This record gives sequence, C-alpha cells and structure tokens, in this order.
Amino acid sequence: MTPLESIRKELRVNDPWIEKGNVHWLESEGLKVRNLARTMNSFNARFVTITAYQLPAEQGIRLEYHWDLDGQLLGFPFLLEGLEIESIYDLCEAVDWIEREIHEGFAVNFVGRDYEPLLLREGDKLGVNLRQEAK
Amino acid sequence: MSYKIPMGPYHPALEEPYKLDMTCEGETVCDASLHIGFNFRGIEHLAETRNYIQVIALMERVCGICSNIHTLTLCQAMEQLTGLNPPPRALYIRVVMAELERLHSHVLWAGIAAKLMGFKTMFMTCFELREKVMDVLQAISGNRVNYSMNRIGGVNRDIEDPLALLAMIEQLESEMVRTVIPIFTTSTTAQSRCAGIGVLSHQKAVSCGVVGPTARASGVAQDLRRAAPYAAYAEMEFQTPVEKHGDVRARLLVRALEIMESCKILRQALTKMPAGEIHTGEKKIVFSTGTATSRVEAPRGEVMYSVSWVKDARNPSRVHVRTPTFVNMPAIRHMVIGARLADTPLIQASIDPCYSCTDR
Repeated sequence: MTPLESIRKELRVNDPWIEKGNVHWLESEGLKVRNLARTMNSFNARFVTITAYQLPAEQGIRLEYHWDLDGQLLGFPFLLEGLEIESIYDLCEAVDWIEREIHEGFAVNFVGRDYEPLLLREGDKLGVNLRQEAK
Repeated sequence: MSYKIPMGPYHPALEEPYKLDMTCEGETVCDASLHIGFNFRGIEHLAETRNYIQVIALMERVCGICSNIHTLTLCQAMEQLTGLNPPPRALYIRVVMAELERLHSHVLWAGIAAKLMGFKTMFMTCFELREKVMDVLQAISGNRVNYSMNRIGGVNRDIEDPLALLAMIEQLESEMVRTVIPIFTTSTTAQSRCAGIGVLSHQKAVSCGVVGPTARASGVAQDLRRAAPYAAYAEMEFQTPVEKHGDVRARLLVRALEIMESCKILRQALTKMPAGEIHTGEKKIVFSTGTATSRVEAPRGEVMYSVSWVKDARNPSRVHVRTPTFVNMPAIRHMVIGARLADTPLIQASIDPCYSCTDR
C-alpha cells in the first residue's frame, strides 16, 4: 500500500486522492482537522502552511492545509462554518504563526488556543485581508 | 534575579526591524519571545488589485534579496492556470538566475555573519565576492536587485553568451576554496563564536517545520530542487549538504558548501543550455478558474505560492505567500534559550532571516 493510501485508510476517508498541479488533494466532508494533524504526525509529514480563501458573496472562508510527505505536497481543504475551526497548535508546533496570521487577516477563530498579535498590534481590528463587502 | 533585554526592533545586528524580547539570568537567556509585523505592507491583499503583469512586479518586491525566486514561484503557479509551458532554454535561464541569487544571498549572509563575529576583514572579502555576483546578475538582467526576468511562459531576457559567465564562476569558486571556507572552518575566531552555540536539535527542527539551510544544518535532508524538481533541476547533478550538529557553525558550513554546489549547477546549466525560444510568445494569456500551488527552494528554504483565479477576471482572487523565514524564525526562540546574551545577535542572524519576506 502506498503512503498516500495508508493515510487515506488511517483517516477513514472513502473519497480518492486527486492530483492537480503538483498537489495531492484529499477532500472529504467527514474529515476532522485534529484527526488529520495526528495522522500527519504519525506519518512524519512536515507541516507547510494553511492558505485561507475568502469565497464569493457570503459563502464563507475555505482553509487549505498543506503537509509535505517526502517531497509530495498534500492538500486538505476545509470549508468553515461560522468562521471557526479547531486549532491544531497543541499537536503541531509549526502551525502557530500561520493560525495567528489567518486569525488577524481573515478573522477566523482557531478554537482552543490563545493569540498574541503577530502582524497587527494590540487593539487593531481583525480581518485586514477581507475584501470590503465582507467587513 | 531575572531581567529583560529587548533586542530590536532597531538594533545594529538587525538588517530590518523585528524584536526579540529576552529574559536573562546573569548572562544566560532563560526565555525569549519574538515580535514581527514592523514591515507589514499588506502585499497579499494588494495583489488582488493587480493584473497578471502588475502582480509579477509587485511580488518581486516581497524580498530584496531573493526577488527572482518570488517571481519564479508566482509564474510557475500562474503557468499551471494558463496551461503555458516555458521552453527548455527558459527553464535553464531560470536555473542560472536562481543559483546566482543563491550565491548572492549566501555570500551576503556570510559577510554579515563575519561582521557579527567581529571579523571585519572577512566581511569585506565576502562583500567583494558578492559584488562580482551582482555584476553578473546586472549583466544578464540589467538590474542589481529586482531583475524582472520571469514572465508567464518563460523569461524576459536571454543569456546571449552563457559560456562567458564561466570565468566568474571559477573565480568565485577559487576564492571560496582559497579563503572563505578555510577561514570559516578553521580559524579560532569563527570556531569560538560559532561552534556549539544556538543549537537547534533535529527533533526541534522537525517539530518547528524549519526549511532550507536551517533545516539541513540540523540533519533534515530536504531540498526541493531534488525532492520535487522544477525548472531544469531534474537535469542537474549536485549534492545536498547536510550537517547534524544544528549549531551556528553547522548553518555556516551548509551555506558554504551550498555555494560550491551552486557553482557546480551553474557550470552545468551554462554549458548545457539548449538553443531556442525563451518564452511562449506574445499571444493573449487566458486564465482558467482554479487554484494553483508552486514551491521553490529559495536561498533561505522553501517558498510556496498559492494563486487563485476566476476565468475572465482581470486580477487574481488570492495570492498567498509562505516564505522560508516565516517558518524558520519561530525556531530562534529555541536557539537562544540557554545561550549567552552576547551570542544572540549572531544566533538570530544564523537563520539568515528576512523580515520583509516574513511580514509581506
């Protein structure tokens, strides 16, 4: 079994991996981000980043989590409900700054962690990267 | 009794502003916290107001040292969305530019590190070498900092006589072998200032997800040029220097050896450069709807761009940049804890931080 198939099995996801560009994507409604982080740790994957996208109109925010597994870039998209998602900071130290940056840029709350200002200063308004119509 | 020492945001050891708040007992650092954001320019948000030509010029200004890498990564992502594949000669020119930029960045860093060690003569030697690299970059691109070389589907300027650059490569290589590497590896000053200080263990390097020479100096053998080759790197033969001690000396050695490997890659790229076009032409560029991701091994480590576009839109709907210093910088906290206060300027400089990249 390939490492990618092992990851899919570990995550109990039926949806297939989809390769697009240089990224292997795994998208599933039942996927939980903390379960994903634990699985990535068990496979010694290197956390790369989270990319936040503001979707058109009032469709909310999509977060794409990326890990590197021996040079293969893996992508896991999550559509947020109510601008909240569980933090994985306690499971993955490397996620600290990017969670704080997305919190400041897109006003996303990563539940279960504290924040210190990163790019903004104490008291600055959150959501500086949000387009005007969403503010 | 503990006391607090702030380093920065303005400090002689810092090329740009950031702040390292240290708690010390005597001369020993017990804890530290980092504060960034002093260069926050909102570039990612600004990118959403720029068309596909303007956005390249904008992203080139994310970083003053590795400006070419940013446009290379961005163009690779936009090429996925437009279906344009650069011709082989353009891919070779991209390798030449990327390696010259690595030489420029590493030699500049070596100079700054030498200055922080109190080794002013070496600082001058390194900056003299750096000038030679910059002269070549200027000869190719017409510019010394923002080279404007990359475009969607190729490069803007040709290297008309690639073999003419070989003399510079040989001169740089011999100077590195003759002076820089022996002095950095054997001199008492370099040894006493670098060996055993600012250690980042292999385990911490993995958990922090550090990249580039910082990771390779802690025994993490990752290099995208080899693991996920782009441009013409699949056709190049080179080694990935890895050290295991994780201290400032290991980071110094990795960069010094990478300079030698860059010279090796440059020699191959210049001698094997295929003839032909340097871009896909002047036809109208059409974007498809979607998101594309690209990664490149910059001098400081992995750079990643995610670009999102909607068909027929004038501007990208999102450009996200993950720079190497953004992931390397938090590791400084682990490097300085337990260190002597006097060593902290050199320790923080040993990751070759770029604050403008980090803040964007």
